Amino acid sequence: MRESDTFKKLTQLILEEEREAREKLENRVEVIDQNLNEREKLEPRIAPILSDQVVYLQKKFPELFGPAITASIKNQIKDSKDEVVEALYPIMGKMVKKYILKEIELLSERIDQKIEEAFSWDNWVNFVKAKVFGIKQGDMILKDAMEPVIQEVFIIEQHSGMLIGSYSRVTSVDQDMVAGMLTAIKSFAKDTFSIEDQELETIEYENYKIVIKNFPRFYIAVVISGIVSKVFLNRLDDLILDFVDKVINQRSPKAEADFIEEEFSENLNDYFIKLNQYDK
Amino acid sequence: MISKKVVLIGKYGVGKTSLIQQFVHQRFSEKYLTTIGVKIDKKTVNIDGTELNMLIWDIAGESTNTKIPKSYHLGAHGAIYVFDLTRPSTYENIVSELNNLKKLISNVPIQLVGNKSDLLDEKNIHQIINSLPLEISFLTSAKTGKNVESMFSALGKALLK
Repeated sequence: MRESDTFKKLTQLILEEEREAREKLENRVEVIDQNLNEREKLEPRIAPILSDQVVYLQKKFPELFGPAITASIKNQIKDSKDEVVEALYPIMGKMVKKYILKEIELLSERIDQKIEEAFSWDNWVNFVKAKVFGIKQGDMILKDAMEPVIQEVFIIEQHSGMLIGSYSRVTSVDQDMVAGMLTAIKSFAKDTFSIEDQELETIEYENYKIVIKNFPRFYIAVVISGIVSKVFLNRLDDLILDFVDKVINQRSPKAEADFIEEEFSENLNDYFIKLNQYDK
Repeated sequence: MISKKVVLIGKYGVGKTSLIQQFVHQRFSEKYLTTIGVKIDKKTVNIDGTELNMLIWDIAGESTNTKIPKSYHLGAHGAIYVFDLTRPSTYENIVSELNNLKKLISNVPIQLVGNKSDLLDEKNIHQIINSLPLEISFLTSAKTGKNVESMFSALGKALLK
């Protein structure tokens, strides 16, 4: 055997093992590559890890993200305070009112009890009438004494006094000017008596009462004629809160920045005519 | 229709109410009645085909012993600061007065108006204009009606921009 053949043979013998190892390695790399790049192969391997991570995150979520979310919500509320108050106001109002209403009902029951104990002729007549018509005697006496009617309703932008919407049984004076003057009166009371956190709530004339319900960006003024009872005011309050919740707060994002007068006026008609009819 | 709130501000007796009377009702009275608090007027104008409802708040002029509620100014979309060309006391602090106004209502068009131009001759008026640190938007006369309409129209245009 020549020397070169011997060297070749020797090289083959030495490198054979290495070549086999390299081939094995190549095959292994190819399998790993397939495992990594083919979704159906990768998924079964990673899914358990991911699922463990999800469970871990679910458990630790408040701890890991709580402070960041709280801070973000705090900032959001701070930046849009008016919007938040506006959205919550009707809901909170309704909750408080439900409780108060129950108390009023209790009071009404007690009044009825007192009336039943009275012995005047009128009371006896009312008592008989109440029995005949199936109406509470207290309610009947109140209803006889008054007939509250909503004459006008204005939705007015706070500060600027611009009219956002209105409902009127009779159009007498310029509604834009009324809105302006009401705002001026409110501003005057606020500035003159330095009552920063308080608002004017009613203006009373002999047979008229202007009830003002304030919201952060606007206020609603309701002109009522007749004698206004607490029961009527309560019902009106509910109606206003409902109106704000369902109509004003539900307006389209386009109308979010600017109030559109016509949009509210139409809805006001539906809402407040209902209350007048209900009371007659 | 577009509605905008305009406030008229200036010292007492400069002719704010008269300017509004002239603009809204085309009338002028020599009788001076001081405005108490605020008076609101309205006029619909047509600006280049657009109907604009101007709610004009005539805010009582402040004197040394009366303070006017600042909240009357809030939410205004435009303002007219009026001074009396014949009374230097009504325009000598004009820069600080306008700065105070801008703090209450920022980023709104403000017209600086010198009223009672009918009481002075051209020469005197020019002297006053030159002595002022700010450029006057209009020289008006509520009595003759000179520039009243154009002053409000200019503000109306600015309001619609």
